[in-house]
Order: sequence, then structure tokens, then C-alpha cells
Amino acid sequence: MNIGVVKAYMLKEFKELIRSKMIMMVYVMPTMIIILFGYGIRMEVTHARTLIIDNDRSKISHDLTARFEHSKYFDTTVGWMNEDAAMNRIKAAKTDIVIIIPESFEKRLLHRQPTEIAVFIDGAFPVRAATMENYVKGVVFNAATQLVPQIPRKLITIENRNLFNQAMRDENAIVPGLIGLILLVAPAILSALLIVKEKEEGTIFSFFSSPVKKSEFIIAKLVPALLLHSVNIFILFLWATWLFEVPFRGSFTLYWFASELYVLISLGVGMMVSIITRTQIVAIVLTIIITIIPGFLYSGMLMPISSMSGESKIEAHIYPVMYYNHLVYDTFLIGQGLDSPKNQLYLAILVGYALFITLLGSWLMKKEIR
Amino acid sequence: MIRTFSALVAKELIGFFRSWGLVAVVLYSFTLDIYIAGKGIEMQAKNIAVGYVDRSGGGMSRKILSRLHMPEFQKPIPFPSQEALSRAIFNREIMVGLIFGSDFEKDLKKRGHAKLDLLLDSVAATQSFQALQYLQNIVLEYADLQMPVVLKIHKLFNQNAETAWFMALAEMLSVITLLGVILTAAVFVREKENGTWDIMLLTPIDPKLIILAKSFSQVLIIVAGVVIATGIVLFGSFDIPINGSIWSFFLLSFFYAFTSAGIGLFVAAISKNMLQVAQFSILIMMPLIFLSGAWTPIHAMDPVLQNLSLISPLRYYIEGSESIFFRGTPFDGLGSYFAGVIGLGSVLYFYGFQKIGKVF
Repeated sequence: MNIGVVKAYMLKEFKELIRSKMIMMVYVMPTMIIILFGYGIRMEVTHARTLIIDNDRSKISHDLTARFEHSKYFDTTVGWMNEDAAMNRIKAAKTDIVIIIPESFEKRLLHRQPTEIAVFIDGAFPVRAATMENYVKGVVFNAATQLVPQIPRKLITIENRNLFNQAMRDENAIVPGLIGLILLVAPAILSALLIVKEKEEGTIFSFFSSPVKKSEFIIAKLVPALLLHSVNIFILFLWATWLFEVPFRGSFTLYWFASELYVLISLGVGMMVSIITRTQIVAIVLTIIITIIPGFLYSGMLMPISSMSGESKIEAHIYPVMYYNHLVYDTFLIGQGLDSPKNQLYLAILVGYALFITLLGSWLMKKEIR
Repeated sequence: MIRTFSALVAKELIGFFRSWGLVAVVLYSFTLDIYIAGKGIEMQAKNIAVGYVDRSGGGMSRKILSRLHMPEFQKPIPFPSQEALSRAIFNREIMVGLIFGSDFEKDLKKRGHAKLDLLLDSVAATQSFQALQYLQNIVLEYADLQMPVVLKIHKLFNQNAETAWFMALAEMLSVITLLGVILTAAVFVREKENGTWDIMLLTPIDPKLIILAKSFSQVLIIVAGVVIATGIVLFGSFDIPINGSIWSFFLLSFFYAFTSAGIGLFVAAISKNMLQVAQFSILIMMPLIFLSGAWTPIHAMDPVLQNLSLISPLRYYIEGSESIFFRGTPFDGLGSYFAGVIGLGSVLYFYGFQKIGKVF
């Protein structure tokens, strides 16, 4: 390998990246994504717009409505309208929940006759619907045990200890996963264009006709991009811990090392796209599609890997993001570091992945006119 | 005029079909990509991995454990000690750990009240919260309280809470946005890069007609993609019900395709090469897709983001499509969504139109 040639080539790439305003992509996009998604993804349901139709207007029904009014999970309005009008409000997406308390609710309750409360929930957004259902059940159950003291007491209480994310904050759950998403998408898009751009513009011929080796060419292409993106590892760490106040309990060295490997892998993924495509537009769209979906779906951010089954479990094990995210969640929330054999294994897998993808890239890259 | 227009559209379409790579990517995005997203994401807590340590040695704990079953829970795995259980939780192989203490059975029989210890991996806050709720319900049912109140819960439009329906639809709408912007921008910037713009200029055709025809050809491609995706993936694979009129959905999609083409025109106007197109479209699209309510309902967002989302055309498109598919809103109830898409769309389109028109 000729160090002088590689150095000169790298310098040229660096200058091009900075001149083409690519630097904006490198630093603006990751920060933008983490801020938008970090503030925006709210899985917790608060302020569910609730309409209570109280046909009984008794003391007990008032008491029940008051419990909904005092809960931060519901924005309650009490109205008297017929059922159809209420359904139309859900259809117009103006209300999430409609609760109908029947007439003579109190009377039947005091006579210990069974009564029914009807609850209608907008199911267009399924996760929210399930959560809202649970909230409603919880409020009504609490009310029932307190308002009707004759209920026999043979109870099991659950003493739960929430590990890792005690307050069940959405930020703690989402933000580390976002780092895995961003460090997959941003470097891949950058490197996806590195080679295909030269193909489309024809400048690739100067590489074909020069004595520069394939390995030298790839190193010269990847190293500047790797250095530029390495800075993001720290920037994203700062946003996570300072802006979103996600605790950091593990080893910073592990976070750093794993992230560098992971950025190299993402650059490799982009490079593969760059090698197999002929036009930049195809390269861009292809990269976005093959990185964003696994970054969200198979990352363990929205759904724990342990809950996956069948195809999705297999797919999760194919993409690098699952291994990296396990390490990131460990360094942020769990803090076992390299003592855990699973972390050692996943780190080793990342090393293997990085080697595999760069070698595959240099093997697929052809130094000839096609 | 009409002939020139159709010739220009045909030219672009032929150019599109010649690039087989692009055709393949577009087809992939409108079929498999949507299928994977619909199949893959399951945000409901399902199939939760459970482990337990049972020191009570009695029938009560067995009875409770036998109530943990599919689809919510995997088969509970026994652990010899609390240490082993918490190690599995720390390695994130187990999400919920139940610990039945040695007094559990005794307490329940004698005092009618017992405590069940629960270790919960709450990294995934939503699922762990739901898991906790499931367990609470199971324990309550077990206690067999004579509840005087019965809750009749109806989840409208999607009784079984099928996440796939929602995810597939949201993914399709995002794909439309992504391709609408990038394809349109690419058509213009590629000519800029190659210098063929100048040749276009030499022709005696009104430049405005060229722009209109070029963007219209991409709108056609997108609408064709929407029809394919709706037919094959949404109806074919996921069997999504449609409670409203399919034609109003296609009409709304047509207008929305113009809106995204407008954004594409704007991107094309401000970029010199494909590299910049990639940058700008991602910078513009990320907030757009994000603020649309595809991932989080609008009214659950931060108020600042909520107000910002008023200027995202995708917001109206997604709400409108959801209403057509799930809520079955009739055509005359869709006025506000059409107004939002067309209103913002014409502003964006005309701005982009003017902006790229200045190149001439």
C-alpha cells in the first residue's frame, strides 16, 4: 500500500466533502432527527379526549366522572347528547373515548344488581386504543372498590420494581434507540453517493486508469467520512444526556468503541449500495429504504427483541442495528459493560460485521470499464 | 398544446421505464417495503418473555402462571433463583420476572391478601406498562371479585387492534411523500447536471409547459404506485377494510402527489446536483413525515410541534386517509382534509414552479 497516494486521495475527498456542502448533511441531519423524534415520539397516552355521557346524574355517577376529570390521562368533557351524535364525534376524529353511564346506574348499584357502562374507543391508532382501554378499566375498578365497600377482599397486590427506567420515561426508552437509527441512516446516505457519483459523472475513469489500488481507493473514500461522522458520536451523546436527560450508567469507552464500529458498518452498507447501483437517484432511494425500516423496526426501540417471533426475529438478527442497540441501551440504562457475556458476544459480532462488509465491498468493487 | 404536453409526459415516462433500477426501487417501495413495515412493527405488548421464581411451592402460583398465555405472554420460564432471573432480565432475554415468596400461599389463605413481587425491564416503556396492566388484570380476575359494574368496551373501526393495518397505511403514505419529492426533484436536477436544460430551452415550447409536463409525469408514476400498493398490499395482504369510498382516497392521493411534486420542484430549484437533492429532500422530508401524525397522534405532541404540524400537508393527507379507511367518513365530511392538501399543495406547487421557472 502506498501511504502517500492514500493520503493525497483522502485529502481530495475531504476537500470535496466540505466544498459540496455535504458537511451540512453530516452535522445538521443527525441533530435534527434526534431533536424532532426525541421530543415527538410520545408513546405514553395523556390528554385522551374523553366525552362522558352521564344519563344518571346521581351522586355515584358524579363521583365517577370526577375521577376521570382529575386524571392527567384524560381531558374530560361531560355532555348530554344522543349516542349517534357522540359516535359522529369519534368519526370526525374530535373525540377519542366516549363513556356512557346508563340511567338508574346508582339505583341498580345500590341494589347490587349488575349494571353496564358502555365505552367506545377510537381504534384507528391501535396501541393508543389498547392503552386507553387499560386506563379506563383502571379508573373504573378503583372507583368500584372504593365506592362499593362490600366487595370481598381476597387480593393479590403486585409490588413492581421497574428496572433501568424507573419512571418509565419515554425519552429513556426512545433516545438511545434513535442514536442507533441515526448512526445507521446518516453515514449510509453519505457513503452511498461516494462511488456512484463518480460513475455518473464519469470521473471514475481516472481511477480505472490510474495505478491506485482498489483497497487504497476504498480506504481513501471511507476514512474521511468515518472521521467526520465520529464527531456525531459525541454530539448525539451530548443531546441524549444533556437535552433529554437520559441517564448514562455504563462505560463510555464501550459506547465510543461500539459506535465507531457501527459507523464503519453503516458506511460499508452505503458503499455496497454505491457499488451495485449506476445512478445517484437509485442509490439515494435504495439507501433510505434499506436503512430507515430496520433502524425503526428491528432495533428494539419500539418493540423488545425478546417479544419478536418468526420472520421478524430472524430479520432482526440479520441487521447490525439490533447488536449495536443492545450495547447502547446497556451503556445508557443498564450499565453492565463488558462483564456481561452477551455484550462481549455482540461486540464481537459488530467487529465481524465491520470486517465482512468492508471486505465484501472491496471484492465486489471492480476496477475496469463495464 | 395538448399534443406537446402528452409528448413531454411520454418522454419522461419512457425515460423512467428505461432505468430499470429506478423502476425496481419504486416497485419495491410500493409493495415489499410496505408489507415489511406492516408485518414487522407490533407496538402492542405481545409475546412477552416471562420468567419466574416460585418459592411458595403451592397451587396458587401455578394457577396464576397458567393464565399467562399467548398472544400476550410466552410460556413462563422457571428460574432456580432470583439472581438467575435478574441476570436474564439484565441481558434482556426476559422482560417480566415474577417472584412468588415463600409466604405467598400462606398469606393469601390466612389473611386474604398477599404480595407478588415483580421485576420489570422497563426500557421499552410502553410494552412494560402494558405488561403490568395485563398482569394486574389477571391477578384481579383470579381474585374473582363480585364486581357490580361491567364495562362493555368497543374499539371502533379496529376491534382486534390490528397494528398491521395502521402501520401499512402510514408507511404507504410516507413512501408517497418520499418518492414524490425525490423523483420530481431528480427529473429536473438530472437535466441541470447533464446540461440538457439548455437544449430544452432552445425548443420553441413554453418553459412553463415543460415544467408542468415533467412534474405531471412523476405524479402519474406515484398515483400508479398508490393503486398498486392499495390493491396488492393493503387489500391483498392485509385485508384492510375500507369504510369510506376508495375513489375519494385516490382523488386525495392525486392532489397530494402534486403537493409533494411541489416540494420536489422547490428542492430542484435550490440544488445544483443530486448530492444536494438528497440532502435537501431529507432535511425537508424528515420533519414533514414526522410532524404528520404517522407515528404519534398530533394532539399528543408538544404544543409547539402541534402548531408546526398545521403547515404539513401530510398531516391532512394522513388524517384524511385514516378517516376514509377506518372511520368511513363520507365524501362531504372530508372537506377540511381536501382543503388542507389542496391549499398547502397549491402554495407549495406555485412557489416551486416560480422558483424553478427563474432558471430560465
